[in-house]
Amino acid sequence: MYSVLKPCKTSAAFEAIPRERFSLDLDQCEDILKNVCTIVTNAGILLIVNDQCEVSIHKDGRLILKTDSQELADKQAGRIAGWLEGTPAIRKHRDSRG
Amino acid sequence: MKLVSLISGGIDSPVATYLMIQRGVEIVALHMDNRPFTDDKNLNKAMDLVRHLRDLTRSPIKTYIVPHGPNHIAFARNCQRHLHCLFCRRMMYRIAARVVEKEGADGILTGESLGQVASQTLQNIMVENQATKVPIIRPLISFDKVEIIDIARKIGTYEISTLPGLCCTIVPKKPSTAARAADILCEEQKIDIDALIEKSLEGMYVFSPEAM
Repeated sequence: MYSVLKPCKTSAAFEAIPRERFSLDLDQCEDILKNVCTIVTNAGILLIVNDQCEVSIHKDGRLILKTDSQELADKQAGRIAGWLEGTPAIRKHRDSRG
Repeated sequence: MKLVSLISGGIDSPVATYLMIQRGVEIVALHMDNRPFTDDKNLNKAMDLVRHLRDLTRSPIKTYIVPHGPNHIAFARNCQRHLHCLFCRRMMYRIAARVVEKEGADGILTGESLGQVASQTLQNIMVENQATKVPIIRPLISFDKVEIIDIARKIGTYEISTLPGLCCTIVPKKPSTAARAADILCEEQKIDIDALIEKSLEGMYVFSPEAM
């Protein structure tokens, strides 16, 4: 679902980019994720905390994973994808491949 | 002359502050704390920059920190996303204006330079200026990034500014580059701006360099 890339030169976080185009309903994401994570805020972006890594979830599906460990970022992106995949929180775009 | 300098953890604001100190201006620093949309490293960088400038110029720099995260949340929940950076800056100026009043200062100092990021267009700056009657001094307005980095390297702030620190994550994907004042005022009516300012000031505290 995601490929993980470094977002900025300061290397304070990783950005996970969706492999295919979709949008997220953040309210539905909150409902799903509140059972497995701590929700920090839902305000245009959804901020969650899980284990040692805080994650910003954007409506366009991007994730900002606040960690300098690529291993942890990969793991967290995979877990979030697993929690959200197949739920109504994900709306795939018509022109999306795959 | 005394100015309230908006200090972020970035490259530009410490350079602007340094240049004005060299002109004999007394500085009161104000850091708007964007957590949870940034991280602790950003706050630490800003405070390291203040400490460095204080030691470099041998000037006392009183430093305030104001929580800005709740303001972001209010605007993100209620107003148009593409205008977010303008709401953010207008709030910073309003809060800085209150610090100007509190400190008996003469104006606000920022590190903005024209066209450097999407929100720093002349049209946006004009709309942002209308948030306050306090003069806003922008010594870097005509500088390009290379010129600013050159100065930052010379004064030793570049190495601190480029340490790891999360960029603001609530910045919209496509920020407005040509906002209209009427649109901004219309959107801001959805928010109790005065209450947000008061709440921000209630959370304001003075940074003690010895505490970190």
